[in-house]
Amino acid sequence: MIAPRWRKVFRDIADTPLRTALAVTAMAAGAFGVTMILTSYSILKRELKTTYSDTRPASAVLVLDGPASDALVDSVRQTPGVRDAESRPVIGGRLFIGNDQWVPLILFVVRDFRDIRLDRFTPDAGAWPPGDGEVLIERSSLSVARAAIGDRVIVRTSDHVERPLRIAGTVHAAGLAPGWMEHAVAGFVSANHLRSSADQIRLLVTGDTLDERHIRDIANRVARSIGHVTRIEVPTPGRHPHAAQMDTFLYLLGAFGVLTFALSAVLVATMIHALLTEQLRQVGVMKTLGASTTQIASLYLGQVAILAAAAIAIGVPLGIAAGQAYARFAAGMLNATITNAMPALWIVVAEVAAGIAIPLMVALGPVAHAARISIHEAFGNDVGGKPFGTRRFDRWLARIQWLPRPLMLSLRTTFHRRGRLLLTVATLAAGGAAFIAAMNVSAAWTRTLDADGHARRFDIQAVFARPYPVAQVMQALASVPDVVHAECWTEAGATLGDANVSLVGPDVDSKLLALPLIAGRWLRPDDDAVAVINQSVLSLDPTLHIGGDIPINVTAHVVRLRIVGIVKELAPRATVYAPPRAILRATGKPAGLARSVRIVTRQRDVAGQVAASKAIEQALENAGISVAGNQALSDSRKSFSDHLVIIKSALIFAALLVVLVGGLGLTSTLTLNVFERTREIGILSAIGATPGTIARDVVFEGMVMAVLSWCAALLVSIPITFALDAATGQMFIRSALEFYMSPFASAVWLLLVLILAALSSFYPARRSARLAVREAIAYE
Amino acid sequence: MIHLQGLSKTYETPAGAFPALRNIDLEIAAGEFVAIVGKSGSGKSTLLNMVGGIDRPSSGSLRVGGRSIQGLTHSELASWRGRTVGFVFQFFQLLPTLTVAENVMLPMDFCGVRPRSERRKHAMSLLDRVGVADQADKLPSALSGGQQQRVAIARALANDPPVILADEPTGNLDSETSIAIFRLFGELSGEGKTLLVVTHDREAAASVSRTVTIVDGCVA
Repeated sequence: MIAPRWRKVFRDIADTPLRTALAVTAMAAGAFGVTMILTSYSILKRELKTTYSDTRPASAVLVLDGPASDALVDSVRQTPGVRDAESRPVIGGRLFIGNDQWVPLILFVVRDFRDIRLDRFTPDAGAWPPGDGEVLIERSSLSVARAAIGDRVIVRTSDHVERPLRIAGTVHAAGLAPGWMEHAVAGFVSANHLRSSADQIRLLVTGDTLDERHIRDIANRVARSIGHVTRIEVPTPGRHPHAAQMDTFLYLLGAFGVLTFALSAVLVATMIHALLTEQLRQVGVMKTLGASTTQIASLYLGQVAILAAAAIAIGVPLGIAAGQAYARFAAGMLNATITNAMPALWIVVAEVAAGIAIPLMVALGPVAHAARISIHEAFGNDVGGKPFGTRRFDRWLARIQWLPRPLMLSLRTTFHRRGRLLLTVATLAAGGAAFIAAMNVSAAWTRTLDADGHARRFDIQAVFARPYPVAQVMQALASVPDVVHAECWTEAGATLGDANVSLVGPDVDSKLLALPLIAGRWLRPDDDAVAVINQSVLSLDPTLHIGGDIPINVTAHVVRLRIVGIVKELAPRATVYAPPRAILRATGKPAGLARSVRIVTRQRDVAGQVAASKAIEQALENAGISVAGNQALSDSRKSFSDHLVIIKSALIFAALLVVLVGGLGLTSTLTLNVFERTREIGILSAIGATPGTIARDVVFEGMVMAVLSWCAALLVSIPITFALDAATGQMFIRSALEFYMSPFASAVWLLLVLILAALSSFYPARRSARLAVREAIAYE
Repeated sequence: MIHLQGLSKTYETPAGAFPALRNIDLEIAAGEFVAIVGKSGSGKSTLLNMVGGIDRPSSGSLRVGGRSIQGLTHSELASWRGRTVGFVFQFFQLLPTLTVAENVMLPMDFCGVRPRSERRKHAMSLLDRVGVADQADKLPSALSGGQQQRVAIARALANDPPVILADEPTGNLDSETSIAIFRLFGELSGEGKTLLVVTHDREAAASVSRTVTIVDGCVA
């Protein structure tokens, strides 16, 4: 037989279904939010890692100056320290997508599709392996190729040969960056069909595959033994090419997991406060009947545990399902496949344990307070409350006389019950701060993208297959009416230590590049052996500084350039800007040569840029200039903004989740607030207040709380935004984002919080106002 | 049974110190049925609260059932109260979500009095004693005021306390019911219980063995 006191607990829960529903909903919303985020976080963290490691990523790539025989590859495989090796040269080129347009193409030449050892890819759809004259396209780049399986496409390889290829099928190469983000097509062809003059040997080392030094040692040893190696590439061990993006994304999920957790904890505290306030009189009665403090505390902690268990039963399964759905969506965007959609067991266990423990911990204080309260206080219902007018703030408030009396009453009531006010405002503010911060960070990314766009004042950039005289390029472009202004630049590949960097030499009088300076100055026409580096170069070697030298390895010898400035740019690629003459000298080329051209076109819109780019390429080709790549700035901006899609999706997802959790919390909190005031509302009715007046005043009180919470949310969102801007910027572009408070985000939250406050106050206020006065005054 | 000596209680209010009780000396023997009368705000309820351990005196000594309760901890006080004192309130204060019988069983539950299996039987006998046994499985809201107060009395008797304290027990009842309630108190007094009843009801109070009048916090 259940003891009467426990029966009271069950009946209290069952006999107030609306209140119970509100409390459970608010707590379930918190549990849902946290579970959803943790579930997607745990699935993605595990699956992204395994998807990548399952491809058996190569530890190093040796670039040869000629073909590699099977015997050579076999000998590499036999080399001590090498676990496996495979020849897979890469051919750059372009793919024709119709209407005189080309997109960048990377072709991987595979010797044996039945024996893929490293950087694995798997059949996705269509034929496998491809026959002669056929290509397999990586599934995430099929849309970039604007083609379907079975279509014939024209590709132009870097040797300038055009050949038709039939798309035989698609493959999934989880180790490659998604094609739709890169705005490039990745294809796989058979070595029987296409040969590369420069082979590449991929190798996997034995021992610690995550130790870069170890990998380099072995790769160098192999290179020395086989000779003919022009370059050794060592991708960061264990890191997917888009690891920075994934890290940023997962970091955001984690950060908002913590914020949602905080929000749900405050929400639970508010619920418990409301629950206990209405039970005070009963606490008093039970005490007169001999109930000890422990007995009373255990009753209410039991009640909290039951409500929390119900909230978990609803929130956790829903959260897991939603988290799985989001993980699938995000994995799709990152070109990963979820093979196991179960969240980590610890997530489920932790969520259930936390779902019970957090409410109990949060409840401990208020329950202990209520259980220790004297019977005298309990019957007086003035728990912890000093009478109005005893505090300085009350007296200041009492001096406000110009407001209509009922509104004055609302305002004073709001501020009199400070505990309740504080909790309500904290709940709403936690939700608001998370929402505003998410929107702020999203806006900061957009602004960073825009600012970078403004810094690059050209519309088209064309890169040549080899250097050409500036005069030849300018003469060719003079015939294109769409060209308003053109600048010839010099470019070269280089390394800084073991890392690849781009060496870019803008025109000495360049008007087309105005990157924001972090320190120092930009290049001047009379500069010679100097350099301006971007923040990514600095992150490769943090000891670099203005006035110091940067040792760059160009074509096997080291050139030292004095650093005069550090700039910030969006692309995470490490770039060193130097005067063209310094670069040409370093590469052993005569002055007056250009490797690329930046062009301002007459028509600056996207369509105009596309049309101009076709005319420009035609003119250059006609002049005998071989174009290796030609990109409209709008396209490269689109590509970068596509890289941000996943990050923005995390932010929008977080914002929506917070609106859901915060909105439900707000509604329940304010509704319970009004329930608490039923007795007071009865008194107002007794002295002649109409239901309309009462509803208006209570709605006003809700709105005062909403506005207060909005102010608090703005303040709290500042450090959160700051931290997220710094962390995500540092992870993705190696530089903190510029802090930005989005007025739009603040306005949206204010509107949302006001509407929700009005709605969630109005209904219960009207209900209370319509209660018979006797009922309302007797309300327990 | 109840021994008060030099008992005073002063409340600190924003308007200054308010002496609710001043230097009260009062002796109540076991089995006495005492009415405490006086105007509103005279200190009657405060006196009752002191005796029941609901509030603590500012000074003076207080012994109930031979025991000084001033030094007891919260927990000891709760246990002492549950076994020694039965309370009856003006607004009955039955727990709304428990049935009549469960309300009566609650003090036994809190104080661990009687084996669990016997509690309902005991509650039923008490409800029978106060004449509402037929209402045992109803919720308080289904009962009239008089019936609720009878249940409250049964609840006050649940742990068989030697002292019953009632604060305006008939303040919310019609005169006929009030007389019946006082008759019931008289019977309890006859059985050896000590009753201390704060009341305004002079007619009902006529049945008591002694009347103590409080004026401005002092025994008149």
